[in-house]
Amino acid sequence: MKRERLYTALSIAVLVLSIVPIGGAVFVLGFARGDSPCVMCWEQRIGMVIVALVGVFVLRYGPKPKYIGLGVLVSAWGMFMGLRHMSLHAARDIGQGFSIEVFGAHTYTWSLFIFAACVVTMGVLLLALKDGDLAAATRTLRPLDRIAVYVFLIVVAANAVQAFASTGPPPYLGQSDPIRFSFNPRNWMWSTEEWSLAPGSLRGRWGAEKPRLAGLNADPAAGPLVNLAPLAVAERRSLSVPLRGTPTGLAYDAATDRFLVTTQQGVYSLDGSLRRVLRYTIVDSGFSIDLDAFAGAAFLDSTTVMAVSQNKSYVVLREHDGADAAGNFRYFLESFDKFDEVSRSRFTTVRARMMYTMSVAFDPTTQSLYTITVPNSKTHRLVVSRFDRKDLTLSAEFMPKLQADSGLALGGQSRSLDELYVTAATFADSRLYALSAAYGTLLAIDPVRQTVVAAYSIPGLSRPTGLARRGNDFYILCEDGTLVTVGAPGA
Amino acid sequence: MEFLNLVIIFITALLVLRAPQRERLAFRLLVTSVLLMMALFLMATRGSWLPGLNY
Repeated sequence: MKRERLYTALSIAVLVLSIVPIGGAVFVLGFARGDSPCVMCWEQRIGMVIVALVGVFVLRYGPKPKYIGLGVLVSAWGMFMGLRHMSLHAARDIGQGFSIEVFGAHTYTWSLFIFAACVVTMGVLLLALKDGDLAAATRTLRPLDRIAVYVFLIVVAANAVQAFASTGPPPYLGQSDPIRFSFNPRNWMWSTEEWSLAPGSLRGRWGAEKPRLAGLNADPAAGPLVNLAPLAVAERRSLSVPLRGTPTGLAYDAATDRFLVTTQQGVYSLDGSLRRVLRYTIVDSGFSIDLDAFAGAAFLDSTTVMAVSQNKSYVVLREHDGADAAGNFRYFLESFDKFDEVSRSRFTTVRARMMYTMSVAFDPTTQSLYTITVPNSKTHRLVVSRFDRKDLTLSAEFMPKLQADSGLALGGQSRSLDELYVTAATFADSRLYALSAAYGTLLAIDPVRQTVVAAYSIPGLSRPTGLARRGNDFYILCEDGTLVTVGAPGA
Repeated sequence: MEFLNLVIIFITALLVLRAPQRERLAFRLLVTSVLLMMALFLMATRGSWLPGLNY
């Protein structure tokens, strides 16, 4: 392409960028509709202004590498800003966003698109450059170039007016939740709330660590609940079956007198004595939906089991003697002909969203699945989530409180059930039993009243990961393979 | 601060238009504007610099 045509294309690009997104934002959204950008919107808008200014530099001084480099850098940074801003709102319910919607998308979404378009435009213009163009000298601006620069100046001046009114002179700066734009100074509210020397974080709440049992205090006396009745250990032995990995969950099916044990990736069906493996498989957790380490499992019926992972993803397996081993290669790493994979998906939670789980329980009466959160360094809440078996969708979520007439009490105003670290759960007698590896505490939760109706201490437990109820006994499986049997309260 | 940055940008564009021989000064103002924009965005997102999403 001839060099002058290239400059014509660049002038038009500067004009389009100045008039459509930047000019539209200040004249239409701002002055006409009263929209006032938040601090992040301001930086994105200024990023676009700078990209247009880089175009003005190239119009005057030619396509020097430092201008091209800066244009690419600012556009890439702008895409990051758009993505970062969009991430605050993109996963919310349908139609929910922040500030004004334009053609079905909010402004921060358009920002990501516009910066991407800038990168594409720069790429196309660079492709059209010829050798020697990079060493261009200062140019005399043509009429079209001058129009582009004057339009740019008018738009920048208008933005400066809006910025003065809505953000103020230094040291005031943009706000995270701005008020409506007005030309009337009485409505101007300038703020320095965004100034902060506080240390930043790379991922904030999203940087939560994975669950781990090491370092938990197992002493019930140090727990948040006081005067707990102890449950006596009736038997303690080692699980003698070979497992690939360490136990992470335990479930029991009374109809077939079988147990279900999970390891990080394994699902094992054991006989009622917990001494013989009836069938097992190792799930390929990397295929398709990412199945983190299994947190536990449940019998959905006598032939269907569900394993739930720490990230609340799950896999539903159906026992099938003589399953198509070749067809199951894609699902399993071992033992291809014992199960079929029915489905693999994810539970979605609300209050429990920023926390992992280490337990799952199934109530066959109401056909409900329960998961319970474990706290992390960012979020400390004990949240019980209930999912309907029919559609495996969140149906209830609550943070259990102590039932008033239970006789239970916290050890002080600073203590809380959120300190518990529930690593195993089961459902029996219309109660959700939740076992905390921290402080060796067993909670009995009424899921209807959403209260803790009883709690017990189990001294001497070391890193329990599985809990099942068989008859009048609780079976507790620990990380090291120790199997502990305690009598159920009131049995 | 956004007002200040836009004023810097306006002056920079004026320099490019009216005093093209001041290219070095104009470029320095341009870089200043970029750094100010980046710094203000980072400060606004100091709670989580990266997008709050699964990775």
